Amino acid sequence: MSIFVAAFGFGLVSMSVIAIAAVGFTMQFGITNMINLAYGEVMISSAYLAYYLNKAGVSIWIGMVAGALFGAVFSFLLNRVVYAPFMRKGTANLGMVIVSLAVSLMISNLLLPIVGFYSVSYQEDAGKLIRLGSIVLTRDQIIVIGIAVVVMLAIHALLTYTRLGKAMRATAANPTLARNCGIPTQRVIDSVWLITGALCGLAGVIAALNADSFAIANGSAFLITILAAAVLGGAGQPYGAMIGAVLIGLITELSAAAWSPEYKEVVAFGILVLVMVLRPQGLLAKRGALAAAG
Amino acid sequence: MNTYYAANLLIYAGIDIIACLALNLQFGVSGIVNFSFIVFQAVGAYAAAILSLPPDTANGGFQHYVGGLQLPFPVPWIGGAIAGGLLAIPVGFVVLRKLRSDYQAIALLVLSVIANTVITNADKFLGGAAGLALVPPPLSDRIDPNTESYQYLYIGITAVAVVIAFAVVNRVVNSPYGRSLRAMREREIAAASIGKNPVNLKMTIFIVGGVIAGLSGAILVGFIQIWAPSVWLYPETIILFAAIIVGGRGNNIGAILGALLVPVGFEEVTRLLNSNPNIANLGPPNLISALQWVAIGLLILGFLWFRPQGVRPEPRRVFEGGPD
Repeated sequence: MSIFVAAFGFGLVSMSVIAIAAVGFTMQFGITNMINLAYGEVMISSAYLAYYLNKAGVSIWIGMVAGALFGAVFSFLLNRVVYAPFMRKGTANLGMVIVSLAVSLMISNLLLPIVGFYSVSYQEDAGKLIRLGSIVLTRDQIIVIGIAVVVMLAIHALLTYTRLGKAMRATAANPTLARNCGIPTQRVIDSVWLITGALCGLAGVIAALNADSFAIANGSAFLITILAAAVLGGAGQPYGAMIGAVLIGLITELSAAAWSPEYKEVVAFGILVLVMVLRPQGLLAKRGALAAAG
Repeated sequence: MNTYYAANLLIYAGIDIIACLALNLQFGVSGIVNFSFIVFQAVGAYAAAILSLPPDTANGGFQHYVGGLQLPFPVPWIGGAIAGGLLAIPVGFVVLRKLRSDYQAIALLVLSVIANTVITNADKFLGGAAGLALVPPPLSDRIDPNTESYQYLYIGITAVAVVIAFAVVNRVVNSPYGRSLRAMREREIAAASIGKNPVNLKMTIFIVGGVIAGLSGAILVGFIQIWAPSVWLYPETIILFAAIIVGGRGNNIGAILGALLVPVGFEEVTRLLNSNPNIANLGPPNLISALQWVAIGLLILGFLWFRPQGVRPEPRRVFEGGPD
């Protein structure tokens, strides 16, 4: 039994990592209507930036900030240079999926000659063990959970109480109407890419820290877990992504304890399939993944 | 230019052409973005392999797999094609019925990554990460595969398969059924409103494409005699997409042209660059193959931006006798 209690502890850490990443991903989709399949590669790029800073002697916590800034700038440029021009040209949703997959392939292969195939890890002492009953976590894991809670509260405050957040929600609901009401949708979309890019970069560093070691191939594994959480919660719904992250984080860690850690992504995929068959719109969304009526 | 090199080139070209024709039927003609296409090729290859291999206790039992039925040619190839079609049924059932088209693409991409993970980790099922080796080439019990005449024979049967695949897809594309497919691709709701069932159309094409993809995998594994998860990673599908986008979406001749330009052409260029020691030793290891993928990405973006219709655009079909 205690193995499952311990797995619950790891689940708390897992869900924190997934939540930060999935909220960023789902906001990109919900507000800009762009399914950014290069998200996992941007995460990995940020993780490697933090790795090189860490190797040069910089603390991993500063590396995390640097990773977030890098992710923000990278995502912003990605949208400005590639995605936005294609969208303005009238490329259909399906075309945009192919564009973002091509971009993802290019990022990972530009990165590959620089960083190599092999797994690397941060030089970070995870701190002393903290026990809460049967749950044993390191100091760093507690900090990661804390960061996730702060980020979720910040996203909630942003969307609910600020003018920018309201403008984002308006743009997500109906971009044309929002523009007609005097909302500068172009600036709103730019800030969405900056904010979600920062979440993406932050999540990349945290995921790499949590995974002990990481390699370039982890980008697609990250993406699958994030997609599962985002689709489970209802694509485009930040609160849905939070719920999705909680469920996926818990279920994958419990299954790893009961079965085998190699199949974490497979379990996430199983959940994804179940959601797509039983409730394609996700837990929260009205439409989500469903095809247009008719 | 020896026979083996020429045979290698021609057979790879034939396999890529068959694969591109199938993907063009799905993506170009019907608008199904099948990002797990390579999985259908892989399942055909695995099926053909375990149908032609002896039981896994042979060769000292160094590899583990199910099956091992040692059946004569052409049973493994037919089995590979059937396996591709059978896999398409459950996948299509989950993915193609309710989901929005961009979600379909993502679900299929995720399937491609996960299928590879599962087969890699399940080491008793299909050889795991090491894969299957020593797959007997077709007819190897009658003709020695290491002879020149066997190479010609393999080119011949590959060519026959190319002709059959081309005849099938051409028949579909130029039939009234093909018109329904194009109508669905252009505007699904409009096609549904005149009584075309998009789910049925998509399912059928998904299965037909799966059968052809499975056949291409069976031909490939018979030739290279090994099969492992590392040869069917999801980026392999993107190469085929690049081929269709370059060649011309919806045009079968374009798909053949794309297959010759992109998978075959890129493979040859990389091989030539790597065979020159001055170039191959430039920069970090794997630089050239990494840059090959970057070039594929740029090719897709470039064509989508400057010439989305491809080198050979889909012919505009005009009804004679309609108003000018």
